[in-house]
Amino acid sequence: MHIIFQQLLNGLSLGGVYALEAVGFGLIFNVLKFSNFSHSAIVAISAYFGFFISRYLFPNFAVTLLMTAIFGGLIGVVIEKLIFRPIRLKNAPLTLFLVNSITAAMLVQQVFAATLGSDYYTYPEFMKETAWRLGAFTVSKTYVIMLTISALVLLFLSYIIRKTKIGIAIRAASSDIRTPSLMGVNVDFIVSVAFFLAGILGGITGYLLGMTYSVDPFIGSMILKGIIAAIIGGIGSLGGGVIAGLLLGATESLLISQIGASLTPIVVYSSIIILLLIRPEGISGKRFIVKA
Amino acid sequence: MIELIGCTVRYGGITALDNVSIKIPDGKIVSIVGANGAGKTTTINVISGMVKLAKGSILMDGESLTLPPHRIVKKGIVQIPEGRKIFPTITVAENLILGAFIIKDRERIKANMERVFKLFPILKERMNQPGGTLSGGEQQMLAIARGLMSDPKILLLDEPSLGLAPNLVLEIFDMIKQLNREGLTILLVEQNAQKALNISDYAYVLETGRIVSHGEGSKIAGDPVVKKAYLGIKEV
Repeated sequence: MHIIFQQLLNGLSLGGVYALEAVGFGLIFNVLKFSNFSHSAIVAISAYFGFFISRYLFPNFAVTLLMTAIFGGLIGVVIEKLIFRPIRLKNAPLTLFLVNSITAAMLVQQVFAATLGSDYYTYPEFMKETAWRLGAFTVSKTYVIMLTISALVLLFLSYIIRKTKIGIAIRAASSDIRTPSLMGVNVDFIVSVAFFLAGILGGITGYLLGMTYSVDPFIGSMILKGIIAAIIGGIGSLGGGVIAGLLLGATESLLISQIGASLTPIVVYSSIIILLLIRPEGISGKRFIVKA
Repeated sequence: MIELIGCTVRYGGITALDNVSIKIPDGKIVSIVGANGAGKTTTINVISGMVKLAKGSILMDGESLTLPPHRIVKKGIVQIPEGRKIFPTITVAENLILGAFIIKDRERIKANMERVFKLFPILKERMNQPGGTLSGGEQQMLAIARGLMSDPKILLLDEPSLGLAPNLVLEIFDMIKQLNREGLTILLVEQNAQKALNISDYAYVLETGRIVSHGEGSKIAGDPVVKKAYLGIKEV
Protein backbone atom coordinates (compact mmCIF):
# COMPACT_ATOMS: atom_id res chain seq x y z
CA MET A 1 0.00 0.00 0.00
CA HIS A 2 2.57 2.57 0.97
CA ILE A 3 4.54 1.85 -2.16
CA ILE A 4 1.54 2.94 -4.20
CA PHE A 5 1.19 6.04 -2.06
CA GLN A 6 4.84 6.89 -2.64
CA GLN A 7 4.52 6.26 -6.36
CA LEU A 8 1.50 8.51 -6.43
CA LEU A 9 3.36 11.29 -4.65
CA ASN A 10 6.36 10.91 -6.96
CA GLY A 11 4.04 10.90 -9.94
CA LEU A 12 2.17 13.97 -8.79
CA SER A 13 5.36 15.91 -8.21
CA LEU A 14 6.61 14.98 -11.66
CA GLY A 15 3.11 15.86 -12.87
CA GLY A 16 3.56 19.26 -11.23
CA VAL A 17 6.56 19.82 -13.48
CA TYR A 18 4.54 18.69 -16.51
CA ALA A 19 1.92 21.22 -15.42
CA LEU A 20 4.55 23.98 -15.35
CA GLU A 21 5.62 22.95 -18.85
CA ALA A 22 2.04 22.78 -20.09
CA VAL A 23 1.23 26.25 -18.80
CA GLY A 24 4.48 27.76 -20.11
CA PHE A 25 3.72 26.29 -23.52
CA GLY A 26 0.00 27.11 -23.38
CA LEU A 27 0.54 30.74 -22.40
CA ILE A 28 2.45 31.49 -25.59
CA PHE A 29 0.06 29.41 -27.66
CA ASN A 30 -2.85 31.45 -26.31
CA VAL A 31 -1.32 34.78 -27.19
CA LEU A 32 0.51 34.10 -30.45
CA LYS A 33 -1.28 30.90 -31.64
CA PHE A 34 1.76 28.81 -32.41
CA SER A 35 3.40 25.82 -30.74
CA ASN A 36 6.44 27.25 -29.04
CA PHE A 37 9.01 24.47 -29.08
CA SER A 38 11.68 27.00 -28.14
CA HIS A 39 10.32 26.61 -24.61
CA SER A 40 12.62 23.57 -24.45
CA ALA A 41 15.59 25.86 -25.09
CA ILE A 42 14.66 27.93 -22.03
CA VAL A 43 14.37 24.75 -19.98
CA ALA A 44 17.79 23.51 -21.12
CA ILE A 45 19.61 26.82 -20.70
CA SER A 46 18.06 27.25 -17.25
CA ALA A 47 18.95 23.71 -16.19
CA TYR A 48 22.63 24.43 -16.93
CA PHE A 49 22.41 27.90 -15.40
CA GLY A 50 20.88 26.48 -12.20
CA PHE A 51 23.57 23.83 -12.05
CA PHE A 52 26.46 26.27 -12.42
CA ILE A 53 25.23 28.84 -9.94
CA SER A 54 24.24 26.28 -7.31
CA ARG A 55 27.47 24.33 -7.74
CA TYR A 56 29.91 27.22 -7.94
CA LEU A 57 28.27 30.39 -6.61
CA PHE A 58 25.60 29.89 -3.95
CA PRO A 59 24.93 26.34 -2.77
CA ASN A 60 21.51 27.47 -1.57
CA PHE A 61 18.37 25.94 -3.01
CA ALA A 62 15.91 28.83 -2.60
CA VAL A 63 18.31 31.52 -3.82
CA THR A 64 19.43 29.62 -6.90
CA LEU A 65 15.89 28.54 -7.77
CA LEU A 66 14.72 32.14 -7.65
CA MET A 67 17.70 33.33 -9.70
CA THR A 68 17.08 30.60 -12.28
CA ALA A 69 13.40 31.50 -12.48
CA ILE A 70 14.20 35.14 -13.26
CA PHE A 71 16.98 34.10 -15.61
CA GLY A 72 14.53 31.84 -17.48
CA GLY A 73 12.12 34.75 -17.76
CA LEU A 74 14.81 36.97 -19.24
CA ILE A 75 15.84 34.25 -21.72
CA GLY A 76 12.19 34.07 -22.76
CA VAL A 77 12.12 37.81 -23.40
CA VAL A 78 15.39 37.65 -25.37
CA ILE A 79 14.20 34.73 -27.52
CA GLU A 80 10.99 36.59 -28.34
CA LYS A 81 12.88 39.76 -29.27
CA LEU A 82 15.41 37.87 -31.39
CA ILE A 83 13.35 35.38 -33.34
CA PHE A 84 9.63 36.07 -32.94
CA ARG A 85 9.18 39.84 -32.78
CA PRO A 86 10.80 40.58 -36.15
CA ILE A 87 8.53 38.14 -37.97
CA ARG A 88 5.46 39.22 -35.96
CA LEU A 89 5.96 42.83 -36.98
CA LYS A 90 6.09 41.65 -40.60
CA ASN A 91 2.85 39.68 -40.14
CA ALA A 92 4.62 36.48 -41.13
CA PRO A 93 2.51 33.31 -41.32
CA LEU A 94 2.27 31.15 -38.18
CA THR A 95 4.25 28.36 -39.83
CA LEU A 96 7.28 30.60 -39.70
CA PHE A 97 6.90 31.02 -35.93
CA LEU A 98 6.77 27.25 -35.59
CA VAL A 99 9.85 26.77 -37.75
CA ASN A 100 11.78 29.42 -35.81
CA SER A 101 10.79 27.87 -32.50
CA ILE A 102 11.93 24.39 -33.54
CA THR A 103 15.15 25.74 -35.02
CA ALA A 104 15.96 27.64 -31.82
CA ALA A 105 15.34 24.50 -29.76
CA MET A 106 17.61 22.42 -31.98
CA LEU A 107 20.28 25.11 -32.05
CA VAL A 108 20.47 25.35 -28.27
CA GLN A 109 20.50 21.57 -27.94
CA GLN A 110 23.36 21.26 -30.44
CA VAL A 111 25.38 24.07 -28.86
CA PHE A 112 25.17 22.30 -25.51
CA ALA A 113 25.97 18.95 -27.12
CA ALA A 114 29.07 20.43 -28.76
CA THR A 115 30.33 22.27 -25.68
CA LEU A 116 29.11 20.48 -22.56
CA GLY A 117 27.80 17.28 -24.09
CA SER A 118 30.52 14.93 -22.94
CA ASP A 119 29.56 15.20 -19.26
CA TYR A 120 26.58 14.80 -17.00
CA TYR A 121 26.11 17.57 -14.49
CA THR A 122 24.60 16.79 -11.12
CA TYR A 123 23.16 19.45 -8.88
CA PRO A 124 24.62 19.64 -5.35
CA GLU A 125 22.78 17.87 -2.54
CA PHE A 126 20.83 20.67 -0.93
CA MET A 127 19.50 18.56 1.95
CA LYS A 128 21.30 16.29 4.34
CA GLU A 129 18.24 14.12 4.86
CA THR A 130 16.40 13.28 1.69
CA ALA A 131 13.33 11.70 3.27
CA TRP A 132 10.74 12.28 5.91
CA ARG A 133 9.31 9.35 7.82
CA LEU A 134 5.65 9.53 8.69
CA GLY A 135 4.82 6.28 10.48
CA ALA A 136 4.93 3.56 7.84
CA PHE A 137 5.41 6.06 5.02
CA THR A 138 8.65 7.39 3.73
CA VAL A 139 8.22 10.61 1.82
CA SER A 140 10.91 11.98 -0.45
CA LYS A 141 11.66 15.58 0.48
CA THR A 142 12.67 16.46 -3.06
CA TYR A 143 9.32 15.34 -4.41
CA VAL A 144 7.34 17.19 -1.75
CA ILE A 145 9.33 20.34 -2.39
CA MET A 146 8.90 19.99 -6.16
CA LEU A 147 5.16 19.64 -5.83
CA THR A 148 4.91 22.56 -3.42
CA ILE A 149 6.96 24.81 -5.66
CA SER A 150 4.96 23.91 -8.75
CA ALA A 151 1.75 24.63 -6.87
CA LEU A 152 2.99 27.99 -5.56
CA VAL A 153 4.28 29.07 -8.95
CA LEU A 154 1.04 28.13 -10.66
CA LEU A 155 -1.01 29.98 -8.02
CA PHE A 156 1.19 33.04 -8.48
CA LEU A 157 0.75 32.88 -12.24
CA SER A 158 -2.98 32.35 -11.90
CA TYR A 159 -3.20 35.45 -9.73
CA ILE A 160 -1.36 37.54 -12.31
CA ILE A 161 -3.43 36.25 -15.21
CA ARG A 162 -6.78 36.61 -13.42
CA LYS A 163 -6.45 39.66 -11.26
CA THR A 164 -3.97 42.15 -12.69
CA LYS A 165 -4.51 44.56 -15.55
CA ILE A 166 -1.56 43.01 -17.38
CA GLY A 167 -3.20 39.59 -16.95
CA ILE A 168 -6.49 40.89 -18.33
CA ALA A 169 -4.58 42.36 -21.28
CA ILE A 170 -2.88 38.99 -21.90
CA ARG A 171 -6.24 37.23 -21.90
CA ALA A 172 -7.74 39.90 -24.15
CA ALA A 173 -4.80 39.59 -26.54
CA SER A 174 -5.37 35.85 -26.78
CA SER A 175 -8.65 36.45 -28.57
CA ASP A 176 -7.56 39.52 -30.52
CA ILE A 177 -4.00 40.78 -30.55
CA ARG A 178 -4.57 44.04 -32.42
CA THR A 179 -7.45 45.66 -30.59
CA PRO A 180 -5.90 46.06 -27.09
CA SER A 181 -3.68 48.80 -28.51
CA LEU A 182 -6.86 50.88 -28.98
CA MET A 183 -7.22 50.75 -25.20
CA GLY A 184 -3.70 52.11 -24.70
CA VAL A 185 -2.10 48.68 -24.29
CA ASN A 186 1.39 48.35 -25.73
CA VAL A 187 0.97 44.96 -27.37
CA ASP A 188 4.72 44.44 -27.81
CA PHE A 189 5.09 44.85 -24.06
CA ILE A 190 2.26 42.42 -23.35
CA VAL A 191 3.91 39.82 -25.59
CA SER A 192 7.18 40.40 -23.71
CA VAL A 193 5.41 39.89 -20.39
CA ALA A 194 3.85 36.67 -21.66
CA PHE A 195 7.29 35.40 -22.69
CA PHE A 196 8.74 36.51 -19.37
CA LEU A 197 6.08 34.60 -17.43
CA ALA A 198 6.42 31.52 -19.64
CA GLY A 199 10.20 31.87 -19.26
CA ILE A 200 9.91 31.89 -15.46
CA LEU A 201 7.97 28.63 -15.70
CA GLY A 202 10.61 27.28 -18.10
CA GLY A 203 13.39 28.33 -15.74
CA ILE A 204 11.80 26.57 -12.78
CA THR A 205 11.09 23.53 -14.95
CA GLY A 206 14.75 23.39 -15.99
CA TYR A 207 15.93 23.72 -12.42
CA LEU A 208 13.58 21.08 -11.03
CA LEU A 209 14.34 18.62 -13.84
CA GLY A 210 18.08 19.28 -13.49
CA MET A 211 17.90 18.76 -9.76
CA THR A 212 15.85 15.54 -10.01
CA TYR A 213 17.78 13.93 -12.83
CA SER A 214 21.03 15.37 -14.07
CA VAL A 215 21.67 17.91 -16.77
CA ASP A 216 22.44 16.84 -20.32
CA PRO A 217 21.97 18.66 -23.65
CA PHE A 218 18.70 16.85 -24.29
CA ILE A 219 17.00 17.84 -21.04
CA GLY A 220 14.85 20.34 -22.93
CA SER A 221 13.16 17.57 -24.86
CA MET A 222 11.46 16.57 -21.60
CA ILE A 223 8.95 19.35 -22.23
CA LEU A 224 7.29 17.00 -24.71
CA LYS A 225 5.28 15.58 -21.79
CA GLY A 226 4.17 19.08 -20.89
CA ILE A 227 3.12 19.77 -24.48
CA ILE A 228 1.11 16.55 -24.43
CA ALA A 229 -0.46 17.65 -21.14
CA ALA A 230 -1.34 21.04 -22.66
CA ILE A 231 -3.07 19.29 -25.56
CA ILE A 232 -4.90 16.75 -23.39
CA GLY A 233 -5.94 19.57 -21.10
CA GLY A 234 -7.49 21.35 -24.03
CA ILE A 235 -5.06 23.78 -25.56
CA GLY A 236 -6.09 27.28 -24.69
CA SER A 237 -7.16 26.22 -21.21
CA LEU A 238 -4.30 26.70 -18.76
CA GLY A 239 -6.27 25.07 -15.94
CA GLY A 240 -6.91 22.02 -18.12
CA GLY A 241 -3.16 21.77 -18.76
CA VAL A 242 -2.46 21.72 -15.04
CA ILE A 243 -4.96 18.93 -14.37
CA ALA A 244 -3.72 16.93 -17.36
CA GLY A 245 -0.11 17.39 -16.23
CA LEU A 246 -0.84 16.05 -12.77
CA LEU A 247 -2.89 13.16 -14.17
CA LEU A 248 -0.19 12.27 -16.67
CA GLY A 249 2.51 12.27 -14.00
CA ALA A 250 0.47 10.20 -11.56
CA THR A 251 -0.65 7.71 -14.20
CA GLU A 252 2.87 7.21 -15.49
CA SER A 253 4.24 6.66 -12.04
CA LEU A 254 1.57 4.18 -11.01
CA LEU A 255 1.90 2.29 -14.29
CA ILE A 256 5.66 2.07 -13.89
CA SER A 257 5.18 0.46 -10.49
CA GLN A 258 2.64 -2.01 -11.91
CA ILE A 259 3.77 -2.91 -15.42
CA GLY A 260 7.32 -1.60 -15.58
CA ALA A 261 9.18 1.26 -17.18
CA SER A 262 9.37 -0.17 -20.68
CA LEU A 263 5.68 -0.87 -21.18
CA THR A 264 4.42 2.29 -19.50
CA PRO A 265 5.21 4.79 -22.28
CA ILE A 266 3.52 2.52 -24.82
CA VAL A 267 0.35 2.35 -22.74
CA VAL A 268 0.45 6.08 -21.95
CA TYR A 269 1.01 7.23 -25.52
CA SER A 270 -1.62 4.94 -27.01
CA SER A 271 -4.14 6.06 -24.37
CA ILE A 272 -3.47 9.67 -25.31
CA ILE A 273 -4.11 8.96 -28.98
CA ILE A 274 -7.36 7.18 -28.11
CA LEU A 275 -8.39 9.95 -25.69
CA LEU A 276 -7.90 12.63 -28.30
CA LEU A 277 -9.79 10.58 -30.90
CA ILE A 278 -12.77 10.42 -28.57
CA ARG A 279 -12.43 13.96 -27.23
CA PRO A 280 -10.38 16.14 -29.57
CA GLU A 281 -11.12 19.28 -27.53
CA GLY A 282 -9.25 17.82 -24.55
CA ILE A 283 -10.53 17.36 -21.02
CA SER A 284 -11.37 21.00 -20.39
CA GLY A 285 -14.05 20.64 -23.04
CA LYS A 286 -13.45 24.01 -24.64
CA ARG A 287 -13.36 23.76 -28.37
CA PHE A 288 -10.49 25.86 -29.52
CA ILE A 289 -10.56 27.40 -32.93
CA VAL A 290 -7.14 27.85 -34.42
CA LYS A 291 -7.30 30.86 -36.66
CA ALA A 292 -4.50 29.94 -39.02
CA MET B 1 -8.33 70.26 -32.55
CA ILE B 2 -7.21 67.46 -34.79
CA GLU B 3 -6.10 68.24 -38.28
CA LEU B 4 -5.35 65.85 -41.12
CA ILE B 5 -3.31 67.58 -43.80
CA GLY B 6 -2.92 66.01 -47.23
CA CYS B 7 -3.04 62.46 -45.87
CA THR B 8 -2.33 59.63 -48.26
CA VAL B 9 -2.42 55.94 -47.36
CA ARG B 10 -1.47 53.04 -49.59
CA TYR B 11 -2.07 49.34 -49.00
CA GLY B 12 0.39 47.69 -51.34
CA GLY B 13 -0.38 49.27 -54.69
CA ILE B 14 -3.87 50.45 -53.74
CA THR B 15 -4.38 54.03 -52.66
CA ALA B 16 -6.89 53.95 -49.81
CA LEU B 17 -6.69 57.64 -48.94
CA ASP B 18 -5.66 60.25 -51.44
CA ASN B 19 -4.60 63.67 -50.19
CA VAL B 20 -7.30 63.92 -47.53
CA SER B 21 -7.51 67.00 -45.31
CA ILE B 22 -9.95 67.08 -42.40
CA LYS B 23 -10.43 69.31 -39.38
CA ILE B 24 -12.00 68.15 -36.15
CA PRO B 25 -12.51 71.21 -33.94
CA ASP B 26 -12.85 70.74 -30.16
CA GLY B 27 -16.36 70.14 -28.89
CA LYS B 28 -17.86 69.43 -32.31
CA ILE B 29 -19.35 66.40 -33.99
CA VAL B 30 -17.69 65.84 -37.34
CA SER B 31 -18.81 63.02 -39.55
CA ILE B 32 -17.35 61.24 -42.52
CA VAL B 33 -19.85 59.59 -44.80
CA GLY B 34 -19.35 57.51 -47.88
CA ALA B 35 -19.75 54.07 -49.35
CA ASN B 36 -18.06 50.87 -48.35
CA GLY B 37 -14.39 51.08 -49.28
CA ALA B 38 -14.40 54.88 -49.51
CA GLY B 39 -11.64 55.11 -46.91
CA LYS B 40 -13.70 55.98 -43.82
CA THR B 41 -12.20 53.33 -41.56
CA THR B 42 -8.74 54.05 -42.93
CA THR B 43 -9.17 57.69 -41.93
CA ILE B 44 -10.01 56.69 -38.38
CA ASN B 45 -7.17 54.17 -38.27
CA VAL B 46 -4.72 56.78 -39.46
CA ILE B 47 -5.65 59.02 -36.54
CA SER B 48 -5.42 56.06 -34.14
CA GLY B 49 -1.96 55.18 -35.41
CA MET B 50 -3.10 51.75 -36.63
CA VAL B 51 -2.25 52.62 -40.23
CA LYS B 52 0.84 54.46 -41.44
CA LEU B 53 0.74 57.50 -43.66
CA ALA B 54 2.50 57.44 -47.01
CA LYS B 55 2.23 61.22 -47.23
CA GLY B 56 0.79 64.07 -45.22
CA SER B 57 0.59 64.79 -41.53
CA ILE B 58 -1.74 64.71 -38.57
CA LEU B 59 -1.68 67.45 -35.96
CA MET B 60 -3.25 67.73 -32.55
CA ASP B 61 -3.42 71.33 -31.33
CA GLY B 62 -0.65 72.12 -33.81
CA GLU B 63 1.69 69.33 -32.72
CA SER B 64 2.50 66.26 -34.79
CA LEU B 65 0.49 63.18 -33.86
CA THR B 66 2.53 60.39 -35.41
CA LEU B 67 2.62 57.89 -32.56
CA PRO B 68 1.99 54.17 -32.05
CA PRO B 69 -1.67 53.36 -31.23
CA HIS B 70 -1.21 52.90 -27.47
CA ARG B 71 0.38 56.35 -27.18
CA ILE B 72 -2.48 57.97 -29.12
CA VAL B 73 -4.85 56.76 -26.38
CA LYS B 74 -2.72 58.60 -23.81
CA LYS B 75 -3.32 61.78 -25.82
CA GLY B 76 -7.02 61.38 -25.06
CA ILE B 77 -8.03 60.05 -28.47
CA VAL B 78 -9.97 56.80 -28.36
CA GLN B 79 -11.31 54.73 -31.23
CA ILE B 80 -14.51 52.68 -30.87
CA PRO B 81 -13.76 50.20 -33.64
CA GLU B 82 -16.07 48.90 -36.31
CA GLY B 83 -17.65 45.59 -35.34
CA ARG B 84 -17.28 46.53 -31.62
CA LYS B 85 -14.23 44.27 -31.14
CA ILE B 86 -15.41 43.20 -27.71
CA PHE B 87 -13.05 40.68 -26.12
CA PRO B 88 -15.35 37.66 -26.03
CA THR B 89 -13.63 35.48 -23.41
CA ILE B 90 -13.13 38.05 -20.67
CA THR B 91 -16.02 39.47 -18.64
CA VAL B 92 -17.84 42.74 -19.28
CA ALA B 93 -16.17 44.23 -16.19
CA GLU B 94 -12.75 43.10 -17.44
CA ASN B 95 -13.45 44.63 -20.86
CA LEU B 96 -14.12 47.90 -19.03
CA ILE B 97 -11.02 47.62 -16.84
CA LEU B 98 -8.98 47.10 -20.00
CA GLY B 99 -10.56 50.26 -21.38
CA ALA B 100 -8.99 52.07 -18.42
CA PHE B 101 -5.60 50.45 -19.00
CA ILE B 102 -3.76 53.79 -19.04
CA ILE B 103 -5.25 54.86 -15.69
CA LYS B 104 -3.16 53.81 -12.71
CA ASP B 105 -5.46 55.07 -9.95
CA ARG B 106 -7.82 52.25 -8.92
CA GLU B 107 -10.35 54.60 -7.35
CA ARG B 108 -10.61 56.51 -10.59
CA ILE B 109 -11.16 53.29 -12.53
CA LYS B 110 -13.95 52.38 -10.10
CA ALA B 111 -15.52 55.82 -10.43
CA ASN B 112 -15.37 55.64 -14.22
CA MET B 113 -16.98 52.22 -14.14
CA GLU B 114 -19.84 53.55 -12.00
CA ARG B 115 -20.23 56.40 -14.48
CA VAL B 116 -20.53 54.13 -17.52
CA PHE B 117 -22.90 51.85 -15.59
CA LYS B 118 -25.15 54.91 -15.14
CA LEU B 119 -25.05 55.52 -18.89
CA PHE B 120 -25.63 51.84 -19.70
CA PRO B 121 -27.34 50.13 -16.75
CA ILE B 122 -27.61 46.84 -18.67
CA LEU B 123 -23.82 46.52 -18.50
CA LYS B 124 -23.94 46.48 -14.72
CA GLU B 125 -26.35 43.56 -14.83
CA ARG B 126 -24.06 41.76 -17.24
CA MET B 127 -20.75 42.70 -15.62
CA ASN B 128 -19.67 39.17 -14.74
CA GLN B 129 -20.68 37.62 -18.07
CA PRO B 130 -18.14 36.99 -20.81
CA GLY B 131 -18.27 39.78 -23.41
CA GLY B 132 -19.06 37.25 -26.13
CA THR B 133 -22.45 36.41 -24.55
CA LEU B 134 -23.82 39.93 -25.07
CA SER B 135 -26.27 40.81 -27.84
CA GLY B 136 -25.15 43.06 -30.69
CA GLY B 137 -26.70 46.15 -29.13
CA GLU B 138 -25.23 45.40 -25.73
CA GLN B 139 -21.83 44.86 -27.34
CA GLN B 140 -22.03 48.27 -28.99
CA MET B 141 -22.86 49.81 -25.62
CA LEU B 142 -19.95 47.97 -24.08
CA ALA B 143 -17.65 49.17 -26.87
CA ILE B 144 -18.64 52.79 -26.21
CA ALA B 145 -18.45 52.31 -22.44
CA ARG B 146 -15.02 50.71 -22.76
CA GLY B 147 -13.89 53.67 -24.83
CA LEU B 148 -15.11 56.11 -22.19
CA MET B 149 -13.21 54.34 -19.39
CA SER B 150 -9.96 56.20 -20.13
CA ASP B 151 -11.58 59.68 -19.88
CA PRO B 152 -10.98 60.57 -23.54
CA LYS B 153 -11.29 64.04 -25.01
CA ILE B 154 -11.95 62.82 -28.53
CA LEU B 155 -13.96 59.77 -29.57
CA LEU B 156 -13.53 58.22 -32.99
CA LEU B 157 -16.64 56.16 -33.68
CA ASP B 158 -16.47 53.70 -36.57
CA GLU B 159 -19.92 52.59 -37.77
CA PRO B 160 -21.57 52.53 -34.34
CA SER B 161 -25.01 51.80 -35.80
CA LEU B 162 -23.95 48.91 -38.04
CA GLY B 163 -26.11 45.83 -37.61
CA LEU B 164 -28.35 47.30 -34.91
CA ALA B 165 -32.15 47.28 -34.76
CA PRO B 166 -33.71 50.68 -35.67
CA ASN B 167 -34.70 51.61 -32.08
CA LEU B 168 -31.17 50.84 -30.91
CA VAL B 169 -29.75 52.97 -33.72
CA LEU B 170 -31.74 55.93 -32.39
CA GLU B 171 -30.54 55.20 -28.87
CA ILE B 172 -26.89 55.12 -29.97
CA PHE B 173 -27.23 58.41 -31.88
CA ASP B 174 -28.88 60.02 -28.85
CA MET B 175 -26.03 58.78 -26.73
CA ILE B 176 -23.49 60.30 -29.13
CA LYS B 177 -25.28 63.66 -28.94
CA GLN B 178 -25.35 63.47 -25.16
CA LEU B 179 -21.63 62.66 -24.93
CA ASN B 180 -20.92 65.62 -27.19
CA ARG B 181 -23.02 67.91 -24.99
CA GLU B 182 -20.93 66.75 -22.05
CA GLY B 183 -17.85 68.07 -23.83
CA LEU B 184 -16.51 65.22 -25.94
CA THR B 185 -15.28 65.91 -29.44
CA ILE B 186 -16.59 63.30 -31.84
CA LEU B 187 -15.53 61.98 -35.19
CA LEU B 188 -18.29 59.80 -36.54
CA VAL B 189 -17.89 57.48 -39.49
CA GLU B 190 -21.16 56.11 -40.82
CA GLN B 191 -22.81 54.44 -43.75
CA ASN B 192 -26.09 55.54 -42.18
CA ALA B 193 -25.45 58.95 -43.73
CA GLN B 194 -28.75 60.70 -43.09
CA LYS B 195 -28.71 60.08 -39.34
CA ALA B 196 -25.03 60.94 -39.02
CA LEU B 197 -25.45 64.21 -40.95
CA ASN B 198 -28.44 65.20 -38.82
CA ILE B 199 -26.37 65.29 -35.64
CA SER B 200 -23.13 66.61 -37.18
CA ASP B 201 -21.76 70.12 -37.01
CA TYR B 202 -19.61 69.45 -40.03
CA ALA B 203 -19.30 66.61 -42.50
CA TYR B 204 -16.99 65.24 -45.16
CA VAL B 205 -18.03 63.00 -48.02
CA LEU B 206 -15.45 60.44 -49.04
CA GLU B 207 -15.43 58.60 -52.34
CA THR B 208 -12.73 56.08 -53.21
CA GLY B 209 -10.24 57.75 -50.91
CA ARG B 210 -10.92 61.37 -51.83
CA ILE B 211 -13.00 64.07 -50.25
CA VAL B 212 -15.62 64.99 -52.83
CA SER B 213 -17.63 67.39 -50.69
CA HIS B 214 -17.63 68.96 -47.27
CA GLY B 215 -19.65 71.46 -45.33
CA GLU B 216 -22.05 71.86 -42.45
CA GLY B 217 -23.94 68.68 -41.66
CA SER B 218 -27.32 70.07 -42.65
CA LYS B 219 -26.00 71.50 -45.95
CA ILE B 220 -24.39 68.20 -46.94
CA ALA B 221 -27.63 66.42 -46.06
CA GLY B 222 -29.48 68.67 -48.49
CA ASP B 223 -26.90 68.75 -51.29
CA PRO B 224 -28.43 67.19 -54.43
CA VAL B 225 -25.03 65.96 -55.69
CA VAL B 226 -24.42 64.17 -52.42
CA LYS B 227 -27.95 62.82 -52.42
CA LYS B 228 -27.39 61.42 -55.86
CA ALA B 229 -24.15 59.84 -54.73
CA TYR B 230 -26.07 58.29 -51.87
CA LEU B 231 -28.78 56.96 -54.12
CA GLY B 232 -25.97 55.33 -56.05
CA ILE B 233 -24.70 53.80 -52.85
CA LYS B 234 -28.07 52.45 -51.89
CA GLU B 235 -28.28 50.55 -55.15
CA VAL B 236 -25.13 48.61 -54.17
